[in-house]
Amino acid sequence: MTDRLAGLFFVLLATGYVWLSTGYTAGFGDPLGPAIFPRVIGIPAVVLGLSLLIWPRHNASWAGTAGLLRQAAAVALLIGYAVLLEPVGFVPTTFAAILGLGLLMGAPPAKGLLTAALAAPGLYLLFDRLMGLPLPLVGTMFG
Amino acid sequence: MDILTQLWNGFAVAALPINLALIVAGCFAGTLIGALPGLGPVNGVAILIPLTFAFGLDATSSMILLSAVYYGCMYGGRISAILLNIPGDEPAIMTTLDGYPMAKKGQAADALAISGVASFIGATLATIGLTLFAPLLAKAAIYFGPSDYFALYVMAFATIGGISGTDPRKTLLAALLGLMLGTVGLDPSTGVARYTFGSFNLYDGFDPIVALVGLFAISEILFFLEEKAHGGGLVPPGRVFPRLTRVKEGLGASLRGSLIGFIAGILPGAGASLGAVMSYSFEKRISDKEGTFGTGDPRGVAAPEAGNNAASGGALIPMLTLGVPGSGTTAVMLAMLISLNIQPGPLLFERSPDLVWGLVAALYLANFVLLILNLPLIGMFTRVLGMPAWGLMPLVVAISYLGVYAITHAAFDLMVMVGFGILGFVLRKLDFSLVPVVLGLLLGMDMENNLRRALSISGGDFMVLVQSPIALVIYALTAAFLLLSLWLSRRQNGIVPQPPQH
Repeated sequence: MTDRLAGLFFVLLATGYVWLSTGYTAGFGDPLGPAIFPRVIGIPAVVLGLSLLIWPRHNASWAGTAGLLRQAAAVALLIGYAVLLEPVGFVPTTFAAILGLGLLMGAPPAKGLLTAALAAPGLYLLFDRLMGLPLPLVGTMFG
Repeated sequence: MDILTQLWNGFAVAALPINLALIVAGCFAGTLIGALPGLGPVNGVAILIPLTFAFGLDATSSMILLSAVYYGCMYGGRISAILLNIPGDEPAIMTTLDGYPMAKKGQAADALAISGVASFIGATLATIGLTLFAPLLAKAAIYFGPSDYFALYVMAFATIGGISGTDPRKTLLAALLGLMLGTVGLDPSTGVARYTFGSFNLYDGFDPIVALVGLFAISEILFFLEEKAHGGGLVPPGRVFPRLTRVKEGLGASLRGSLIGFIAGILPGAGASLGAVMSYSFEKRISDKEGTFGTGDPRGVAAPEAGNNAASGGALIPMLTLGVPGSGTTAVMLAMLISLNIQPGPLLFERSPDLVWGLVAALYLANFVLLILNLPLIGMFTRVLGMPAWGLMPLVVAISYLGVYAITHAAFDLMVMVGFGILGFVLRKLDFSLVPVVLGLLLGMDMENNLRRALSISGGDFMVLVQSPIALVIYALTAAFLLLSLWLSRRQNGIVPQPPQH
């Protein structure tokens, strides 16, 4: 089943990819132009995707509900970390990210809190102060 | 003679204090990364790359650091394979087969010593092979024209398909997906913006390094949240000192494993996992007379360890001489060199002899450092294995973020990294291997440029692609390799576990 879905995804993706390539025209003295290579790779991808759609072989097993929830929470955390790193600053966001991910991975709350509290400023000191990578200590939000 | 002079100059480069420090640090970090379950050479090296940029290391020092880490990982992977029955990195899967049974019999110290010596033999022989063969291949590669390079890229993609063990259609699709992602951005020869959907952030395309950290480090986190239970418990090392007689039992297997692993490593796209699998199954076929393999036979520990270490040295050859990586990790290193504006290939040996020979010399030194770290000081690393994942994995995330942020200074790239992380996770769940995606993303632009160059020489005639004798030889080799791997997969079905993902 998952193979069929993956096949369908690739068919749609590659079809759209080849279709978009028709808009790319240019070139004097360039016999290939910017549109041919996308077709050279896009068309086989459509064919392979179709074959996967018609003759699937593998069915992925996903995590149980708890696992999927953990993964979804982790994705939300990772996105939040990426979005907030600049406005809020490295130390607070890293503290939250390490704590959150640690808890999701089954850290005992007290130990997880301690790890995050040590690691976030520790990483800042190690990489920004000691090794000279510029990291935002407090974010743009606080001026 | 020429080689010796250049190697001597290389040692002068490698012996600079900064490089010596990087060798020791890299070997240590590599052994650690290799030993920790969940982190392997690919993600270890991927996390380090942004840091090498941010620290402004030059290309030679960066390569020395990353190669030391790469070699170190190959040594380190065996530690948790033997003591925990969890391969610390992918190629160490084969080491669990006989290593863990030995540890359960109270021979953990022997197993660690045998595999440490086997790693040293494999890596040293491969480094000697690299010294001898890389310059020869570089000389031959000077005669390669655009259509020959195009053939080489086809070979790289076809051979990963042959070995990855999963559905070959998926390997090809993964490579095509990588190539498609590689076309995003401004077309280098005409300046047309392709697949950017009007976003200026995408005009430069996807930074391969951001993509790599996402694919390998972030996806690992999501994977980890899925599984709760892992392997058996930590086996006490038993006796403290290994017995020399046991180490001797593994010597023959180490030599055979080195040779096979080295050849597997040279093949573009094949890599260390294949080296370990082939060495183990070959050794099993020729020396398993009493059926002791799988129950703790020293030769079953030595062969795959020598194999995966030799393969990692071999994999550097096509990466340096042709610019076509021989494994996932060398693909990541290639990304770094390209980002530093150094184009690996035959000219690298003429233009940057310091880099090439400094790196080779550093590898010899790294092997001795690793031998010391992995025999007398092994206790240091076994203690780390008790470290819980909830302490380690979040740190990996934080280091990935700070590394990527330090080189790009853009929150957009962090989002791209997370996006690639999710993509990598879904692809791995669906049984697609990630290495072809990376190869496609990295090599796509060069593949397209060489195709264009070949066609502008011929005035648009596609026959030019099969008119050069070199290209024809490469296509013939590709076909032979595909047939061989088909035959091997028929024969080995059921004997050998599926080669792992990356």
